[in-house]
Amino acid sequence: MNNFRFLFAFVVALALGPLVLPEFYVTLLNYIGLYAIVALGLVLLTGVGGLTSFGQAAFVGVGAYTTAYLTTVYGVSPWLTLPAGLALTAAVALSIGFITLRLSGHFLPLGTIAWGISLYYLFGSVDFLGGHTGISGIPALQIFGFELKSGRQFYYLIWAMLLVIVVATRNLLDSREGRAVRALKGGTLMAESMGVNTPRSKIVIFTIAALYACLSGWLYAHLQRFVNPTPFSLLQGIEYLFMVVVGGVAYVWGAILGAGLITILKQWLQDWLPQLLGQSGNFEMIVFGLLMILVLHRARDGLWPIILRLIPEHPERPRVAHAEALPRRAIPPAGSVLLEISNASKRFGGLIANDRMNFKVRSAEIMALIGPNGAGKSTMFNGISGVDPLTSGEISFCGERIEALEARDIARRGISRSFQHVRLLPTMSVKRSHRRPSAW
Amino acid sequence: MKIKKVPACLFALAAIAAASTVYADINVGVTLSATRPAASLGIPEKNTFALLPTSIGGQKVNYIILDDASDTTTAVKNTKKLIAENKVDVIIGSTITPNSLAMIDVAAEAETPMIAMAAAARIIEPMDAKRAWVFKTPQNDAQMATAIVEHMTNNNVKTVAYIGFADAYGEGWWNEFSKIAEVRKIKVIANERFNRADTSVTGQVLKILSAKPDAVLIGGAGTPAALPQRSLKEKGFKGIIYQTHGVANADFLRVCGKDCEGTFLPAGPVLVAAQLPDNNPIKKVAQEYVTKYEAMYGKGSVSTFGAHAWDAGKLLSNAIPVALKKAQPGTPEFRKALRDALEGTQNLTATHGVFNLSPQDHLGFDQRARVMVKIEEGNWKLVK
Amino acid sequence: MDLQIALLLAQDGITNGAIYALLALALVLVFAVTRVIFIPQGEFVAFGALTLASLQAGKLPGTLWLLLGMGAVITLMEFAKALRERRIRRIPSILLLNCGVPLILAGILFAVSPATLPLPVQVILALMLVVPLGPMIYRLAYQPIAEASVLVLLIVSVAVHVTLIGLGLYFFGAEGSRTPAFTDTSFAIGDALLQGQTLLVVVASVVLIVALYLFFERTIYGKALRATAMNRTGARLMGISATLAGRLSFTLAALIGAFSGILISPITTIYYDSGFLIGLQGLRRRHHRRSGQLSACRRRRHPGRSA
Repeated sequence: MNNFRFLFAFVVALALGPLVLPEFYVTLLNYIGLYAIVALGLVLLTGVGGLTSFGQAAFVGVGAYTTAYLTTVYGVSPWLTLPAGLALTAAVALSIGFITLRLSGHFLPLGTIAWGISLYYLFGSVDFLGGHTGISGIPALQIFGFELKSGRQFYYLIWAMLLVIVVATRNLLDSREGRAVRALKGGTLMAESMGVNTPRSKIVIFTIAALYACLSGWLYAHLQRFVNPTPFSLLQGIEYLFMVVVGGVAYVWGAILGAGLITILKQWLQDWLPQLLGQSGNFEMIVFGLLMILVLHRARDGLWPIILRLIPEHPERPRVAHAEALPRRAIPPAGSVLLEISNASKRFGGLIANDRMNFKVRSAEIMALIGPNGAGKSTMFNGISGVDPLTSGEISFCGERIEALEARDIARRGISRSFQHVRLLPTMSVKRSHRRPSAW
Repeated sequence: MKIKKVPACLFALAAIAAASTVYADINVGVTLSATRPAASLGIPEKNTFALLPTSIGGQKVNYIILDDASDTTTAVKNTKKLIAENKVDVIIGSTITPNSLAMIDVAAEAETPMIAMAAAARIIEPMDAKRAWVFKTPQNDAQMATAIVEHMTNNNVKTVAYIGFADAYGEGWWNEFSKIAEVRKIKVIANERFNRADTSVTGQVLKILSAKPDAVLIGGAGTPAALPQRSLKEKGFKGIIYQTHGVANADFLRVCGKDCEGTFLPAGPVLVAAQLPDNNPIKKVAQEYVTKYEAMYGKGSVSTFGAHAWDAGKLLSNAIPVALKKAQPGTPEFRKALRDALEGTQNLTATHGVFNLSPQDHLGFDQRARVMVKIEEGNWKLVK
Repeated sequence: MDLQIALLLAQDGITNGAIYALLALALVLVFAVTRVIFIPQGEFVAFGALTLASLQAGKLPGTLWLLLGMGAVITLMEFAKALRERRIRRIPSILLLNCGVPLILAGILFAVSPATLPLPVQVILALMLVVPLGPMIYRLAYQPIAEASVLVLLIVSVAVHVTLIGLGLYFFGAEGSRTPAFTDTSFAIGDALLQGQTLLVVVASVVLIVALYLFFERTIYGKALRATAMNRTGARLMGISATLAGRLSFTLAALIGAFSGILISPITTIYYDSGFLIGLQGLRRRHHRRSGQLSACRRRRHPGRSA
């Protein structure tokens, strides 16, 4: 109920906004909305999935340029260019994703820098896209023959779309797919052993984030009615990341807060600094940078958690009242062989950790593997669960050979494991952590 | 509980931001690129506004100057702010072509005249209902490119290579120059690009050298344009090197040093104001600007970019008294009258040329707006 | 002609390559020790070059004011901390380090006209002005959040970068500078001309790399840095202060950056915002340097896995 009332109040406030705010603040809110849409994608990608991307601005560019080109050259209706832009973005994101998401650790942000720069130069050097000078004369959007020309009219479109995305993102994060995505941040090892297909989850959120960016670009092109490469540069990409981190990278509302805060702060600085320090220098960048350092010192998780803390109670969000239990698997008769290990060996270079191990685990039986430190117990577990495959030997589970399978596929066949060092996700409640395996 | 507070927080952000609206006599809104890539153009423009008259036709004039960080989104945002918050009567800006193009829609929809300080002819051509509100002070690239091509034909240049910035400036020059060169039967045999902050252009320069051109045109602005020139000289290029008017400031001479000896470039007459013949009306106006600017910012600090801002001021000083006769500042009627007055500017001598505007031509410069300049002994020398 | 082109390109590649290699080394060092992806690395290149150019033009470089300002802020912070912890004896050294040294430098700059000094002295002055900014930035921007996530440290890096770019524009203006070549000699190899400056860049880079090698292998501080790079927790347990390691790595990064800037400024024009692209190049090379000395040790860490 609370959640619903919160959204309702937010929507009412939004709807009344343009009626009371001066013209320019509606303009600012429009930009905030556009930035927040991209930032939401980053919350999903970076805050929840743990993948850092500097290149979101390039996807905004794909959306903006698709509609700019199609509407000005072929006169296509903007409502048709949106699906076209989304399709193109999905194609680009999938292909870039397949290449860069394989990169691990710090190669990934570097990869995103690389394609962020490449797409920027592509926009600038392709003649039919207007080169560095840009495309002007993009038509205004029309809804039922009514032109959205003023900022106040556009405002409702932007924020309606943003709200849809907020709701969609929250629902996504509460779904099975969402729990899988959340597991990514705790490292792929745990997620994989619980049966999550991590490459797939990464591609999914990467594409969703790119689609959000594309939508923002489409709106931008029709609001601005002019596109050129500078708003889609690497610098802007970094700025989006900036917004989510300042707002609170792990929170959906943090994206909106961050986008709003940075946009308004820059505006304030532009208004007040010349009055304080005179027209002679350009102090905006200096003061902005210093303020951001201070903010991050005081709130390294962003500002949203601080706001949440100010609110005395925040109850768990309502759960789905009741869901059907998943069907039980057929239980093998007691005493039949479940797991059979034969001649299992694991070598690390010259070191043999497991040497031709043989044992069976039967149904309705508890089997213990005991030994002193360094005996190779964890190695054996890792071998069985596929986390660290065997060097040689066979493993059968319910009569099926599993030693060559990925950890997630083994998990799906019904083997679950725990870890010696508890691998919990700091942002998930115990209950939700437990729901993760049950999802698959 | 969070129900009430959260939207309140978000809206508080927007609502507290309300700044007081300036109610003054005539408000001139300025957005220019004083930071990021175009800063070397935008800063002298910004400096110039401090020298412009604070009262025109007996009315007080306020200049509200905003920085757009060489970014189109910010330029448009600034324009909307100037119109909605500051209720400006006229907008001056921006420094670079993409920003100015993006601002046209906003200015025209608010029926506010706009004077651009960027070069591309696309800002005022083809004339249509929107561009009726748009004027500009810098010479068209085409005008400058024609001067170079003429000079090339007179000096027996048959083949030429182009190397320019990988941005709107380098692109605009390439478009105009290649078009005019083709008409005049000069073969353009290489077309290279480099970035402002590149630390080396050896690859591009070697490609140009292997094409063996008679001359090279470098399409860059400010000190970055010195890098290809130096690289060419270092690698033994003996032909003529042309620069564009974008390099016309003292810093370029300082950085380029002896590598730039003998370079030709077209420029506004203000660059060589002292060398102009006494009967040239531009001489007096240009020297006045140079004296004023250098008195405030130091000897040798003047650049032709600041002079574009000065010329915008000249246009306004000329048009505002006319418009004041028809309407009060701050009203749509005044903006309309100001637009008409700007369009009616005749025989107005400025630092870069003589303005003769018409409904079809919102720049209104003629041949007097450009001179060929040669770099000799580290100084600009007017080519007679 | 083909050979000549190859030689020219090689010369170009080697000079730039040497600089990027140095910067990459600095980035790896800072990241390994502090987990900071040090985007402002490039700003030290620009500040080093532009400070030297200001000195040669007889102007007072803006970096002096930055140094004095940051020194004063740090002094206040440390002073308050020392008072709170009742460690009065530390105060003289705090004052000397953060206020004394910058003030002495300021005194020198005011007393003598820097433009008339010989080049090596100018270079040393420029380095003395820029290098202390490294540990000071660490103290102010990173030390208070040394344990934050890599992402937060990265965003702080972006904020520091934005601040420094803004300061650079204010100090040095939008236009670039080039310093005169250290040497005008050049050698002919076949058709191509080998510039003396190129040779100087390569030799100086090699000397710096050897010096760094010796520092890491032979000195106690170098070893402490390596230990921190390999295992932060382990190093702390062995009594190596994380703060000291952080400051040391930032000092080295600033030294490498400023020195690289001074080396290339006669070859190319440096602008207040040149640093970002140069730094990006360094960042890309960072991973190719994984086989460098810092990570050679890291590999030795995993002879086998224990269960």
